[in-house]
Amino acid sequence: MRRILAVTTFTFRELLRSRLLFVWLISVIVLCGLDFLLSILSFGSILQIFMDLGLAGMEISGLLVLLLGLAVTYTTEMDQKAIFLHLAKPLTRGEYLLGRILGFFLVNCLVVLGMGLVVVGLVIFLGGGTVPALFYDCVVFILLEMFVLTTLGLTYQMIATSMVGVVLYTFFTVFLGHCIGEVQWLLNQEMSHWIKVLLRMVYYILPNLEAFNLKDRLYDPNLVLGWAQWQDILLYAFSYSFVVFLIGWINLEKREFR
Amino acid sequence: MEPTAVMTDSPCAIQIRGLSKTYKTGFWFTPKVTHALKGVHLDIYENQAFGLMGLNGAGKTTLIKLVLALLRPTAGSVMVLGGSIAQRSVRQQIGYLPELPYFSKQHTGRELLEYFGSLHGFSGSTLQHRVDEILELIRMRSAAGLKVSGYSKGMLQRIGIGQALIGKPKLLICDEPMSGLDPVGYKEMRDIFIDLKKAGTTLFLNTHILDEVERVCDRIGILHEGSLKEVAPISKILESSVPVDYWIDVDSGEAPKLSGIPFQEAVQKNGGVQVSGLVLAETLSLLTSRKAQVKGVRPLSSQVEAYFLNAIGAQAHLNRPRMGTP
Repeated sequence: MRRILAVTTFTFRELLRSRLLFVWLISVIVLCGLDFLLSILSFGSILQIFMDLGLAGMEISGLLVLLLGLAVTYTTEMDQKAIFLHLAKPLTRGEYLLGRILGFFLVNCLVVLGMGLVVVGLVIFLGGGTVPALFYDCVVFILLEMFVLTTLGLTYQMIATSMVGVVLYTFFTVFLGHCIGEVQWLLNQEMSHWIKVLLRMVYYILPNLEAFNLKDRLYDPNLVLGWAQWQDILLYAFSYSFVVFLIGWINLEKREFR
Repeated sequence: MEPTAVMTDSPCAIQIRGLSKTYKTGFWFTPKVTHALKGVHLDIYENQAFGLMGLNGAGKTTLIKLVLALLRPTAGSVMVLGGSIAQRSVRQQIGYLPELPYFSKQHTGRELLEYFGSLHGFSGSTLQHRVDEILELIRMRSAAGLKVSGYSKGMLQRIGIGQALIGKPKLLICDEPMSGLDPVGYKEMRDIFIDLKKAGTTLFLNTHILDEVERVCDRIGILHEGSLKEVAPISKILESSVPVDYWIDVDSGEAPKLSGIPFQEAVQKNGGVQVSGLVLAETLSLLTSRKAQVKGVRPLSSQVEAYFLNAIGAQAHLNRPRMGTP
């Protein structure tokens, strides 16, 4: 456990100092600017605008930090072969991968929660309103989504042979993961058997990122998040991440470092 | 030719049996197969320093990576410190310095050593104490707080050896450890190796630097085109009768007396003759008979170099013009 923690701390520090948080800072500035602009133009409720844009900003900035982090660390670890030094130590490849995932996730938590604080501040101090409890649930859902994507991204890093590959795989997973609803709709349509088999594979292999999309239902008066819903989403996020982690671990064990 | 077995009382630190590695590259229709290692058998004994020599592309780094399980063998097996490298207890006792080590540039030297120390199980004040010891040993105490991005090549190499030593290894594996070091750093590194050897650490050095081999190693192995050509104790090599090149220096006005030396191994040049040790005595007596003024005779290569060239069959090197000769 101590070794995993050491890798986590190492990764967290590496990412923080890679100036990735500039992305977060730029996102915050853009968010505040947009909030200000839209509140002047009075498109709907100011509070609603603050929260909608804030939640979208959390997701986008978290994703950007993840993609950039994957690109930066792929260059160091794989291209420049810094990974040799880690793997020659008394550390299993599984411990290394888990430590990296947790380090990335910690940075993502910092980005998402930091943005969340900015949004809460805007709503309370600028908008003079209150933040609904469901907003905090949305933030946790985004964090769960980031956990799944971090595990996937790091697994791609262990499989891919280039930095561009890692970034593209992760990006397309995000894109397709949000289209799972459309895939489900297509499955109910009349079409060739083989296309349906292919779509079914896509449906089961790709993460259902729409399951984490609570922000579209922030103002749904009928939405009640009970223990059963929490259980489902937590189980889905962690079991999916666990399977992906196992695949990454097996690939890392098999990988040769020339 | 299979390497000669050397009997020793020490147990094996690394036992390699029939180790082969084949790389497959290219696409489906144009596959290319490279045999990086071909059935290598090698024993490296505990408390000894072993130097692996070979030309670029001979398979030295591949051999080290196979020992460390960074690559998987196509055939054969490796035992390290009596067990498998996959065991944590075995890795705990190994230090590894890759050729030109690369570190995350966002950390300081001290942070890197702390991290690698914690992977070896050190924590708290024990970790800090060990990091201080290593910083002192590699003479990096004053630069320990600086980010690695500001380090020179030599400083990176020092941090590299530091991380390899942080776990107090019983076996130290180094791939070109002198890369990037200035003469002072080179001497310090050599002294570290000699001290480690005295303290009972087994050294496995993959190197091109013959001086390092002569001064540090007890045994050497010569790898050529993926095959282990020779394994011999350094003392035996230094006493061996492998011919060394010599330079016979004569007065500038004596050039006509150098013409027509009837030995293939003797090459006449401005101001002297480059000659193989095989015909040194005959050449000297010929020059004496011609009343040539010989100013001096000096070896152009070391015994280890000559042994190395002989082992890889590079006899042509003996007659090749060298730097430093006219």
